[in-house]
Amino acid sequence: MKRFISDVKKYWNYTRYAAKSQLKTEVANSYLNWLWWILEPFCFMLIYAFVFGMLFKKKLEYFNIYIFVGLAFWDFFNRCIKSSVRMVRKNKPIVSKVYLPKFMLIISDMMVNGFKMMICFGISFVMMIVYRVPISYRILYMIPILLVGIVFTFGCSCIMLHLGVFIDDMSNVINIVLRFVFYLTGIFYSIEQSFPKPYRTILLNCNPIACIINDLRRCIIYCQDPGFHVLELWAVISVVLAIIGVRTIYRGENTYVKVI
Amino acid sequence: MEDIAITVKDLKIRYKSVQAYSIKKSLLRLKGAETQSFEAVRGISFEVKQGEILGITGKNGSGKSTMLRALANIFSADEGTIDLHGHSVSLLAIGVGFKKELTGRENIMLSGMLLGFTEEQVKEKMPEIIEFAGLGKFIDMPVRTYSSGMYSKLAFSITAILETEIMLIDEVLSVGDEKFKKKSYKKMKSLISNKDRTVVIVSHNLATLEDLCDRVLWMHEGKMMKIGDPHEVLEEYRQFMED
Repeated sequence: MKRFISDVKKYWNYTRYAAKSQLKTEVANSYLNWLWWILEPFCFMLIYAFVFGMLFKKKLEYFNIYIFVGLAFWDFFNRCIKSSVRMVRKNKPIVSKVYLPKFMLIISDMMVNGFKMMICFGISFVMMIVYRVPISYRILYMIPILLVGIVFTFGCSCIMLHLGVFIDDMSNVINIVLRFVFYLTGIFYSIEQSFPKPYRTILLNCNPIACIINDLRRCIIYCQDPGFHVLELWAVISVVLAIIGVRTIYRGENTYVKVI
Repeated sequence: MEDIAITVKDLKIRYKSVQAYSIKKSLLRLKGAETQSFEAVRGISFEVKQGEILGITGKNGSGKSTMLRALANIFSADEGTIDLHGHSVSLLAIGVGFKKELTGRENIMLSGMLLGFTEEQVKEKMPEIIEFAGLGKFIDMPVRTYSSGMYSKLAFSITAILETEIMLIDEVLSVGDEKFKKKSYKKMKSLISNKDRTVVIVSHNLATLEDLCDRVLWMHEGKMMKIGDPHEVLEEYRQFMED
């Protein structure tokens, strides 16, 4: 634990700088450059709103924002997990030349994706003003909820990074699993309205992503309290996952170079 | 008494069953699991004094680079210990963490921080690095527009000017055109002959080793054949290679 904190401190600056340059690199050569960070999620939102709102006639209050909030967090989680599986391989030139705690690569990546997520939330606030959505103090709950989400993502990413090194085709498996979770998470439909009684509670509470997204929507759009008990439980699980993840990385990271 | 900078004891490094495998393969392996093991370094012990320059030579695949990477803490020893007595260490590596879309200046920052320096330290050394690289106005252009010579000049300058207490060098670097080659060799020489700096060089270039090193270690198939005075060791090595 002590080692974790001192390592984070030591490499924090590099990580931040690497994240910043990653963002810069992404937009360096495109015509619309940083506008893509806004356009991309916005267009996806329009597609989902069109397909599920117009064609399937889903009726939900503020459906556009509803999708957007879900999409913002889902994209963050999805991108982090996907890239963490290939993280060590992708950074082979760095990993084979200097020592760097491998989870710092994850943190750097999370900063990049976190920045994009913040843009998404920024857009949703603009949309809330446009649609005149009532706002209450409960919107502040989004901070602890996001925190749980971030720790959970970090924990999962660490474990995925470790597995990704040793198992070549892990990324295929992860793609399938993520797609499955995506449909079960209710990005573009409401779990509460679509499933009968016992199943919806199970789906909402046992899938941390669904739980987090649902809580985010409740406190941002609908002025409701999040489900505190379930959230607390997931907070504890997330911390445990993160500890396991960091430990696994510390134990295994010196063999990574031999494998790749 | 002189201080010891590096102590290596009974170092053994194995590349074993840690290859990546696919899920299908690992399912098949459940029946007759057989792990292959290859020992790259087989029990080496030596010490390097502070300020000493140690050369390591040996034919291809004798475990030199593996040992160097173990010294740099990039991977761990399977048996035995490496004690650096608290010194900072860096493997002189060219172009670590470079991003092609960024300018030379930004890459210096990125690479420097990756090598474990703080933002301030890199900033302080920045003018010196830029001057040594001698890239002119290209320093503010994206690295992808560089020629390969310019790329390695920049990379070399970063590692040559940001200094650590123990330097590990894999093949003495000669990059760029004749002029820069001479300049970098001279810089290299002044860098490693600094009294406080401990250096470990891996090279096939015997003339360079003879020129630079205080002692030479000869490795053969993961074992230590001889360590000692450069002339003696290299002479024997030459004869051995001719047979």
